[in-house]
Amino acid sequence: MTFAEPIAGVRRQVPLLAGLIGLAVIVLAIAFLSITVGARPVTLDTVWAALTAYDPNSTDHRIIWELRLPRTVVGLLVGAALGLAGAVLQGATRNPLADPSILGIHAGAALFVVLGVAVLGISQLSLYVWLAFAGAGAAMLAVYAIASVGREGATPIKLALAGSAMTAALQSIVSAILLTSPRTLDEVRFWQVGSLAGRSMDVVVQVAPFLAIGIVLALASGRMLDGLSMGEDVARALGQNVRRSRAIAGLAAVILAGASTAAAGPIAFVGLTVPHVARAITGPNYRWILPYSMLLAPILLLGADILGRIIAPPGEVQVGIVTAFLGAPFFIALVRRRKLATL
Amino acid sequence: MHAALKTTLLAAFAILPAFAQAEPWTYTDGAGETITLEQVPTRIIATEDAAAALIPLGIRPVGIIGNSLPEDSKALQGLDLAGIEMVGVTHNEIDLEKAAILQPDLVIAEYWPLDKEWGGGAAVTGPGSPLRELAPVTGPAQLDSVVGLIEEYEALAASLGADLSAPAIAEAKAEFERARDAFSAAAQAKPNLTALAVWAGNDGLWVAAPEGAAELMDLQRWGLDFLKTDLNPDSGYWETVSWERSDKYQPDIILIDNRVATNRANAEAKPTWTAIKAAADGSVGEWPAYWLRNYRAYAGELDKLTAVVEAADENLTSEQ
Repeated sequence: MTFAEPIAGVRRQVPLLAGLIGLAVIVLAIAFLSITVGARPVTLDTVWAALTAYDPNSTDHRIIWELRLPRTVVGLLVGAALGLAGAVLQGATRNPLADPSILGIHAGAALFVVLGVAVLGISQLSLYVWLAFAGAGAAMLAVYAIASVGREGATPIKLALAGSAMTAALQSIVSAILLTSPRTLDEVRFWQVGSLAGRSMDVVVQVAPFLAIGIVLALASGRMLDGLSMGEDVARALGQNVRRSRAIAGLAAVILAGASTAAAGPIAFVGLTVPHVARAITGPNYRWILPYSMLLAPILLLGADILGRIIAPPGEVQVGIVTAFLGAPFFIALVRRRKLATL
Repeated sequence: MHAALKTTLLAAFAILPAFAQAEPWTYTDGAGETITLEQVPTRIIATEDAAAALIPLGIRPVGIIGNSLPEDSKALQGLDLAGIEMVGVTHNEIDLEKAAILQPDLVIAEYWPLDKEWGGGAAVTGPGSPLRELAPVTGPAQLDSVVGLIEEYEALAASLGADLSAPAIAEAKAEFERARDAFSAAAQAKPNLTALAVWAGNDGLWVAAPEGAAELMDLQRWGLDFLKTDLNPDSGYWETVSWERSDKYQPDIILIDNRVATNRANAEAKPTWTAIKAAADGSVGEWPAYWLRNYRAYAGELDKLTAVVEAADENLTSEQ
């Protein structure tokens, strides 16, 4: 911000910053709910006792520490990653429908993990993460290469089409492997809809560094995305290296989508929906859209997870199913209410 | 004179099968349909469950419809599959060309009356499936006893020309009866003992109702009591319980589905697994879920279960 900037810009920044702080508070509130609400009723006193005076012999304490806490942290990280990955991809490809599941990134990550489990017999989570990265990267490169064929290069439409085709192809391979291999039977539901249940702190420790790198990369790419959103020619005229910008944004998206898939499976709709909500609040400026997406997405994801824990006692509904249920109508309403910005 | 009689008799025996070939063969299947073939079928394609029953009885199918690769199939473990073609290795899928090349006379599957479905999947053996254009599908029904099912298979195998008096078959049966009596004695010695059969999923603990599994009904018949559960008819014979609520049911022994070898390790990795007292106590056995089809396999599983029952504390939990 300089003195040369119009006053209106400053006026706009203050409420946006206040909104961001408000969102951060809501994220904390949702995280609190996620630790206190679950399939098993646990009183607030017990939660407090579990967090302050942990007793390994108490089932309630173990549930708080070993089930809900990891689940909450995974939900926060994966949510932030999905929201950012969606926003970065939408900006970099100028495609309002871009998100990790539509561009084939989720399916690629899932396929490599499933292949690793079914074919190579890998059961170490530390290797899952690398498999997921490799798969996410390979799928994204393949989609980009397919979409680049032809004179006009990788247009948003061609990217979306190539990504959808790739997702369908990869998912059918995943299904085929899962169906033929009973050893991976139990992972079936996980790798098809995504879930935060049954993930331990090991998962968090494994993927947190990658997610941190991805989040920093994504947040730092706001200015580049603003440049790209004006079109390649304008971005070039402003002295931007378009190819490098795209590469950095792509790398951020692959890291975020790969790590989040490794941690929670492919969760749809969050990455697609959240950036549009953010855009509706902030306007077209990616330096605001990105942090808003990063905070809005975990609210949606953890909220959906908490809902899934309480709607079908004594069982649970996986978060991927709930987000699809919540996300789809919400997205349709959003599309109907305001014309989607052509990015 | 003797020699001449012998030769005549031998010749007669040699011709007999030829006559048998010419006799019509009929069988009434588990769905209540009767089929009649002009002669006794010899080229049989069987689902993996049917094959697991028929091979020990001396009937070797030419092809097997598997739900998985044979090395991953509990039902087929320990059976000699030499020379048998796998015409399917995925549930609900079949390689129709392979099946056609085998020129089957008959497909043997199992009828599941609760699901009104034939084993192997509706697309493979169900009404209107392409496989039915190659050969008719028949087979016994899955009811409430694996022993009853094996007896159904014995009758079917005999009609197909199996010699049930073969020593290997008698041995297997005697082995099973010994194991069954030992299990029954152990179970009846502990009238207060309650069991619960589960699948340890990542998304929760899946609790099974004995009514949905023939082998569990057998165990119940031989004296093992199962814990009462809140069965929801809509969800079939499984109840999914969140891992947060894993202590909802407190049996004296837990039986873990052993279709997948990693199931027990998965359970033990869950922080609330030991909230089930039986798990904390180590009273955990294996549940041979849905795959037992012959006496030898049954004997082996029963011996393992007997050891668990004998080591268990019938008063670990007071619930009935």
